[in-house]
Amino acid sequence: MRAATATIQVREFPALLGGNPATLKDWAANWQMSRLLMCVAVIFAGAGLYGAAMGYWRSPVQAGYNIVKFPLVVIATTLGTSLINGMLAPLLGLNLRFRQSLMLVLMSFTIAAAILGSFAPIVFFIVWNTTSLAGQTEIPWAIYNFVQLTQVIIVAFAGVAANVRLFRVLQAVNGSQGVARKVLFAWLAGNLFLGSQLCWILRPFIGSPGLPVQFFRDNAFQGNFYETVFRAIGHLLSS
Amino acid sequence: MNDPNTPPLIPQPALAAVTAGAPTPPPPETNLDEQVPIPNVVSAIESILRQPRRVLYQLRQPGSGRLIAAMAFVAVVCGLIYGLVVGTFSGGTQFWAAPLKIAAGLLLSALICLPSLYIFACLSGSPARLVEVVGLVAGLATLMTILLIGFAPVAWVFSQSTESIVAMGALHLAFFLVSTWFGLRFLNAGSSAHADRTGGIKVWMIIFILVMLQMTTALRPLIGKADTLLPTEKKFFVTHWLECAKQSDETSQSSSLTR
Repeated sequence: MRAATATIQVREFPALLGGNPATLKDWAANWQMSRLLMCVAVIFAGAGLYGAAMGYWRSPVQAGYNIVKFPLVVIATTLGTSLINGMLAPLLGLNLRFRQSLMLVLMSFTIAAAILGSFAPIVFFIVWNTTSLAGQTEIPWAIYNFVQLTQVIIVAFAGVAANVRLFRVLQAVNGSQGVARKVLFAWLAGNLFLGSQLCWILRPFIGSPGLPVQFFRDNAFQGNFYETVFRAIGHLLSS
Repeated sequence: MNDPNTPPLIPQPALAAVTAGAPTPPPPETNLDEQVPIPNVVSAIESILRQPRRVLYQLRQPGSGRLIAAMAFVAVVCGLIYGLVVGTFSGGTQFWAAPLKIAAGLLLSALICLPSLYIFACLSGSPARLVEVVGLVAGLATLMTILLIGFAPVAWVFSQSTESIVAMGALHLAFFLVSTWFGLRFLNAGSSAHADRTGGIKVWMIIFILVMLQMTTALRPLIGKADTLLPTEKKFFVTHWLECAKQSDETSQSSSLTR
């Protein structure tokens, strides 16, 4: 019986990626624990593999840390913003229940995680082809920046693809493009706001070549992402 | 009985083909030739060259594993043969190293890019199963390597008449690109048959070409000689090509001074 359920969930996976609004709307409306678990499993597998590929450039230990940390950021962001997301949707004109909004955000992160996971072998290949840090007398900043840029492009692509699908579902729920856009931007703002800070706390992911490999930085809870960005802008303007 | 004055109903796929215009071929289900099973390796080679839609149809049928295995086998064998021709340029160790590297490089590239192709296919709304996607990649590799075999005599003639690594590299690259273009055309036909959007597949094609090109640098030397079987230094393929071109330029300048 369990095996049969698992098969059904795996078969549903392409439907999720295809982003058929009617199907996803139905999934959000009809809450199923097995479907929820499938989403969580895909997030852990996809984001974990991608995180490992990303961290492998710094060291295999960093890759191991990222297998846990990267999915944690995604899950924690989904749960941390679920309450405000569930409240914002009806306020902005989209009649969604809390469970529905949570499921929709989770499905969008699942799509992003699946895309990231599929890119993991390519990122491993890119990292394998870059100069290793071991035995270097000088820190290869150009390669570090290249690895960072590659991650930004891939993560941005996965995020855009996932949100395009989420937008279509939101539109299917309400029928209004304007309301769907408002809700999507509100959810995105919340997710980005919390997600950035969670990434800051759980840093490093790639790992600066000049700093040691750690699960958490010693000053993980000191300062925040936005302070650092403002300070960097300040430095840039004053120099 | 039917009214003799009423024209018979035209089947929907045939109607679609008529309304879409003459160049649009009918879907595979309408052509009985394309539904004939592919029993062996020779038939698989012939089908992928002459009736690619027959291969695409068979990949969608249950039990397509045998066809996929046959195509993968053909791709490896053809890769090994073309590698042998590549190895004739330098001889020695390259006689066995180049075939192994080319076949392994092709398989590795396909494996690295396979997950993203499946995800892109799903994102584009295609109902293709993972087996079908594996079959499409196997078909791509098969068509590529068969065409490379077709180019092999030309490559061999050039490899025996020139000493320039850059010239041979450029020639093999040109053959590789032509073969890849036909291979990707096959893959595109298969993956876009049921897809709503094809943009993702096109992005994947670019990624696949880049991975293949980087693989040629990661497994170097494929054409010339080196002290080690695999490189000790990691390089981006464009950097490697530019360095080779510069080195070749310097060599030709110094040899022209001694002539």
